[in-house]
Amino acid sequence: MMDEEELVEYFRAQLREDPDIASAVAAIRTLLEFLKRDKGETILGLRESLKWATACLTGVDSSVAVSSGGELFLRFITLTSLEHQDLSRCKKMMEERGELFLEKISMSRSKVAKLCHTFIKDGAKILTHSYSRVVLRVLEKAAAEKKRFSVYVTESQPDSAGRQMAEALRKLNVPVTVVLDAAVGYVLEKVDLVIIGAEGVVESGGIINKIGTYQMALCSKTHNKPFYVVAESFKFVRLYPLNQQDVPDKFKYKADTLKTVQNLSEEHPIIDYTPPSLITLLFTDLGVLTPSAVSDELIKLYL
Amino acid sequence: MLFQLALWRIELVEYFRAQLREDPDIASAVAAIRTLLEFLKRDKGETILGLRESLKWATACLTGVDSSVAVSSGGELFLRFITLTSLEHQDLSRCKKMMEERGELFLEKISMSRSKVAKLCHTFIKDGAKILTHSYSRVVLRVLEKAAAEKKRFSVYVTESQPDSAGRQMAEALRKLNVPVTVVLDAAVGYVLEKVDLVIIGAEGVVESGGIINKIGTYQMALCSKTHNKPFYVVAESFKFVRLYPLNQQDVPDKFKYKADTLKTVQNLSEEHPIIDYTPPSLITLLFTDLGVLTPSAVSDELIKLYL
Repeated sequence: MMDEEELVEYFRAQLREDPDIASAVAAIRTLLEFLKRDKGETILGLRESLKWATACLTGVDSSVAVSSGGELFLRFITLTSLEHQDLSRCKKMMEERGELFLEKISMSRSKVAKLCHTFIKDGAKILTHSYSRVVLRVLEKAAAEKKRFSVYVTESQPDSAGRQMAEALRKLNVPVTVVLDAAVGYVLEKVDLVIIGAEGVVESGGIINKIGTYQMALCSKTHNKPFYVVAESFKFVRLYPLNQQDVPDKFKYKADTLKTVQNLSEEHPIIDYTPPSLITLLFTDLGVLTPSAVSDELIKLYL
Repeated sequence: MLFQLALWRIELVEYFRAQLREDPDIASAVAAIRTLLEFLKRDKGETILGLRESLKWATACLTGVDSSVAVSSGGELFLRFITLTSLEHQDLSRCKKMMEERGELFLEKISMSRSKVAKLCHTFIKDGAKILTHSYSRVVLRVLEKAAAEKKRFSVYVTESQPDSAGRQMAEALRKLNVPVTVVLDAAVGYVLEKVDLVIIGAEGVVESGGIINKIGTYQMALCSKTHNKPFYVVAESFKFVRLYPLNQQDVPDKFKYKADTLKTVQNLSEEHPIIDYTPPSLITLLFTDLGVLTPSAVSDELIKLYL
């Protein structure tokens, strides 16, 4: 039985050893390990423990994907849990399903890259926002296919994550320019398309992503540039925000901020919500989807 | 002769810098015009044409110190204003004296312009309004001061405005006025717009089409405001009206896009962050100037009247 400290330490270790994996994948590996070590006697108890474990992990990393990934993991493994009388057989089945789930989602980033890179034409100028490992994988694949393209990436305050993205792209020999967050409108007339990642995909087909995404989407719509989102399916979450206020505070700020700060209105939110009307296409491991198709896929996932 | 020019340049630049130091609250264009007036008084030229050339040269020197659009337009307007009646007198010294008087008159007029703008604009701020503004603008500050003095209650969101974080300076000044102010990231403009009632920004230059040139980030703020249907007000003095007609971001000359030091030292400008952008007139609701409250389409008429 893992207690909170062990859980958090295992999660952090996963992130340290492989800085390239999505935090949700690390969370799911942790939950699988927790499942293996769990000594509970009932299925219901097991479910409660897993929910508790997910809550612990969101206390470390407050991103939407950890929360949605955990919930999807739980649903996936408990799909057939009621067929066996014997608890240990049930648990073994759940572990197997857990391994299967983990294997599936580890492949998802490659699937997304395979679908998306064909939309990058030779000579394209791409605009992207902040640091996204999925977008990086897509651009790696396009570069491997010998496409010539150049990238503008926003600096993305307050953590200047965009510079990390620019560094990674320079290693791929892709011409990259870092622009100020304020320069998005200025630079949009020069670009051909916008590709961004997502921290979460909501029921309406909109996305939750690093702050600055919403105004990038608004400006792209006005300039008539395609706005593509690349996201793995474990980021699909059961939320339906209608505006920026509707996104729960627990996602808007970093986990440390939520724990230590009294007055959240003084803090800069780190994510914003982009409505589906501004998104052209979403590239996921379930296929290339329009925003309206997302809710169908979401229902299939969560049922 | 070249040595003489170099000396004059140093004196000119030093006078300009001194003006800015003594009164950090004045517009850099006003400081430039004071400097040009002083240059006019000390000029020892023998012909009117020579005088015009000298003044143009002086304006060019000053734009080498401060590359903002207003210094350039302010200088040109000063020159036009003082030379309107220069051809009537035969005697050069009488002409010069007249030009100096007109120069003083011009300076006096434009020193009043910020108050005129504030007087026109503050009535558009209703009680309980939430205002969004961008970076640091002394005109906007004056407008908000006037509104606060009229006992209006309002709160302000100001963007941090990288790369120089000028927004924080604005926030400080507003806190001194006891106005509740929140600093937001440049990236948070779209996020915060659903909460605000109106957007008020300054301008570094107003172009012929009625659009404006202002700190980078203004264009996307205008785009987002249009989408959210929030009024987008611009406050600018009339000496900022400039003879440019950009159709997009590329059309704005490089000499305005970067700071004067950057233009002198850097080889490859495409590596630098531009510090201004162009906002087309379709995104602007109203412009508040000392010539009155104008729609963007009315700006070209006023510009013609100014420059004729």
